[in-house]
Amino acid sequence: MRDRNYDELRELLTRFTDSSDAGSTERDIRAGDSLFDMHPAPQAAPETLATIKRRISVRLGMPRRHTHPLYRYVGAAAAVIAMALIGFFGRSAPEQPRVSYASLIPAAIWDSDDLVSDDAELAYFRSELRHIETQMQALEAGDGELVAAGSLDEVELELIRIDTQFWKE
Amino acid sequence: MGTGAELTQIIDGCKSGDAECFAQVVDLYGPRCYGYFYRLTGDRDLIDELLSELFMKLVEKIASYKGGSFESWLFRIASNIFHDHLRGRKRQKKLVEGRRAELELRPVEAAQSDLTPDKADRLQTQLSRLDADTRDLIVLRYYSELSFKEIAEMRSEPLGTALSKLHRGLKKLRELMEG
Repeated sequence: MRDRNYDELRELLTRFTDSSDAGSTERDIRAGDSLFDMHPAPQAAPETLATIKRRISVRLGMPRRHTHPLYRYVGAAAAVIAMALIGFFGRSAPEQPRVSYASLIPAAIWDSDDLVSDDAELAYFRSELRHIETQMQALEAGDGELVAAGSLDEVELELIRIDTQFWKE
Repeated sequence: MGTGAELTQIIDGCKSGDAECFAQVVDLYGPRCYGYFYRLTGDRDLIDELLSELFMKLVEKIASYKGGSFESWLFRIASNIFHDHLRGRKRQKKLVEGRRAELELRPVEAAQSDLTPDKADRLQTQLSRLDADTRDLIVLRYYSELSFKEIAEMRSEPLGTALSKLHRGLKKLRELMEG
């Protein structure tokens, strides 16, 4: 622990506690810290750090995907034409059965007033997306270990699970 | 640890996509972040995974680092990654329990602890007996070497609260180690 942290600690203790308590509190904290000094955590294996560096290099070397502006204009024009055609022919077309799409966020969250529980659900949802994103990025980066371990199947299974189980609860 | 100017130079290099500069950050902070994750999880395979995720996140987010304490910024990401992992674990547990009920399987042997500490490491065992919040605070302070002000700010907690939680936690830890 750096000395500057103990200087700050002393200053804070005098601000928050009596001067008599400040001394014993500082001793307690220093004694606690020394436990960590006496029991150092294991070191990261050099291979672990080397693997991380390799993955970073791969990530940095990945070409960024830019869409050519021409494709964007063509896409936008096609969308406008498609919408115009739907609007024109759609009026005379027989009524189609309505298709409903399930929201990614469970409806219960919108109906609920329980902010704490809803926040937790949304946090799970975000972490789920991050997890999948990480897996997808690893796959895109061509991480041999992950691909060999059948990560693509895992990602797919994960998506199926989300779709079928978790968000119905 | 390099000086402030050296670190700024390294971070500038990272922002311009220099893999060598990222490698330097890994060398500088990897061991401490490893210790941080180790003391929180005690599971070496998981630590490798979390550490890798941390540095990949760093690559992704380095452009958003606008100065200030780099350590504070990095450990905030590390802390978020760990908490995301915990949430994911709870979610997985929920899924597994749901599936088990569905298949009417017998519950697997007694609830396993969320932590799988290294048996040889006594400190790790005693740390896992503290509540998660206190453990997080103690470990974060030790490995990040952040000031109390930075830690309290990171945890959105009043300074006095963080200080007294840390004091109580370390005292309890010492009692457990001596007991």
